[in-house]
Amino acid sequence: MNTTETVIALHAVKKSYQDTPVLDIASLALVPGIYWLQGENGAGKTTCMKVMAGLIPFKGEIVLRGNVSSRQHPVEFRRLINYAEAEPLYPSFLTGRDLLELYLNTKGGDRQRIAAISTKLGIDAFVNNPVSSYSSGMLKKLSLLLAFTGNPVLILLDEPLITIDVQALSVLYDLIRSYSAKGVTFCITSHQPLDPAELTVTGTLKVAHKNITLN
Amino acid sequence: MRTTIQILQKIFTQRFYIQNTGFFLVLFYLLFGVVDGGNLISYHTSLMKGFLGSYPFLLIVLLLWGLYGLKCVGFMLKTFQLQGYEFLYPTMGSIDKRARQRIWLLLHTAIYMPVLVYAGIAAGVGMVHGYYLPVAVIVVFNVGMCIWPLLVYERKLDQPDVLFFTGHLQRWLNKHFTKPPLLFFLYELFTNYPRRIFSVKLFSAGVLWLTFFLLAQMDFDLRGLQLGIILSVLLHMQLMLHHRSFDDTYLNFVQQLPVPLWRHYIRLTGIYILLYLPEMVMIIVNAHGKISLPGLLTCFAVAISLLVLFRCLLYFRRIDEEIHLRYVLLVSFVVLFMILGKYEWPAVLLLQAAAAIVFLTKYRTYEP
Repeated sequence: MNTTETVIALHAVKKSYQDTPVLDIASLALVPGIYWLQGENGAGKTTCMKVMAGLIPFKGEIVLRGNVSSRQHPVEFRRLINYAEAEPLYPSFLTGRDLLELYLNTKGGDRQRIAAISTKLGIDAFVNNPVSSYSSGMLKKLSLLLAFTGNPVLILLDEPLITIDVQALSVLYDLIRSYSAKGVTFCITSHQPLDPAELTVTGTLKVAHKNITLN
Repeated sequence: MRTTIQILQKIFTQRFYIQNTGFFLVLFYLLFGVVDGGNLISYHTSLMKGFLGSYPFLLIVLLLWGLYGLKCVGFMLKTFQLQGYEFLYPTMGSIDKRARQRIWLLLHTAIYMPVLVYAGIAAGVGMVHGYYLPVAVIVVFNVGMCIWPLLVYERKLDQPDVLFFTGHLQRWLNKHFTKPPLLFFLYELFTNYPRRIFSVKLFSAGVLWLTFFLLAQMDFDLRGLQLGIILSVLLHMQLMLHHRSFDDTYLNFVQQLPVPLWRHYIRLTGIYILLYLPEMVMIIVNAHGKISLPGLLTCFAVAISLLVLFRCLLYFRRIDEEIHLRYVLLVSFVVLFMILGKYEWPAVLLLQAAAAIVFLTKYRTYEP
């Protein structure tokens, strides 16, 4: 595999909670595409995503596009990866707009494009309300919108299919396709199968026995 | 096997006293630490006779007890709103009403106990010295303070709606003003925990007021004021623990933002400058004409450096409230002796360096 084509490479990545090892990945490299991250409950999918997103500390190194290291370029690294949590949680008093502005101010990106996605997902209707008034579906839509801010090369979506309505699901599939066509890589966890009519999966990543294997 | 009340006491009573350790330490210091041991009883007897014999003074005492009562009620209500405590609604809601009211009474009186003990002794002193009407006022007031919260708790159980501002002004602000990350924690305090911030600020202001009052009795010494500042900073410990818990629970996403470490550090320092702003204003107003500008800056630098370092200590792995308190007191003692030796600026530099080193090395590796 040509390293210049590699979007993300994990080198000797280890993660433990207290003294219990959860991940021990000797090496993993992914080329651009859409990946389905699979694993049983508790296998370490979310931990893996949080490690990749730079949300939790770990041993080893992750390199993006062959030259952006999680250790040496922590800011640039975070600029190139976006992550949407399975069950997002935000301070109750913040509005969707507060969060959106924060993401746009730090991650950058095309504001008009994000505004268009916001309209498509129906977020405009409640973006000025505090998140404490949001339903789980509204919160999920907001977190997905935030994951598309900036100019990421890799977007990690943790259980994106749950809690959102059919219309939003169709918009999400559309977004993944169009971003993927522009070279953005996706890593998606889902217990439900990804609709093959909607998405062509490049590969399946299996999390098991603390390791990730690419099929 | 644990009884229901034992479990509920663990949830409410124990948590209350653990969370308020700093508050009680300062309170005990003010009540019992500032007086020579041999004169302690006569001091408190005189104090009690003072408010038993003067209705304006008694009103102030009742106001303070009332504020403490509100703090207790606020704590109980907030517990119901905490994440992970939702189980209290179905469980407590399933208890027979009379039994539940008995439980409310036990839980509330357990956390209101410090006032009941002091008021009880004061009532005894009042009876001995013939202050029958003030004693009756104290008894009625405290019985009332133990009864009305029970109705509030029952109402909370019936209407478990989450409080947030939906007024026109708040909606207008939400539409036209984006909250910067610097203000997130202050918003959290003012919207979800207003009693907590107001009570901390009230006691902190009280400590500073007492400091200025004592300094007015003698030649003004900057070191005396700095001692008062250290005490007022210690009163903010509860807010620091809250800050950590808020960051851990809700601001996880901030770590994923492409923001350099130094900006995170500036934000943290900014939060504590804003938090201490009321005290700074109070010091400026009270110290007008007594302290030079460099003296004022020294005081503020000591306060902010202590606050930031104490918050940064919480980035150490698995540091709990007790261990944190130990380090905080140790640092406070060292700083106190440096101030007494007139080494304020070396102390500030050391505190700043320690805070920055801890933050820069621990922030990215910190894990709740």
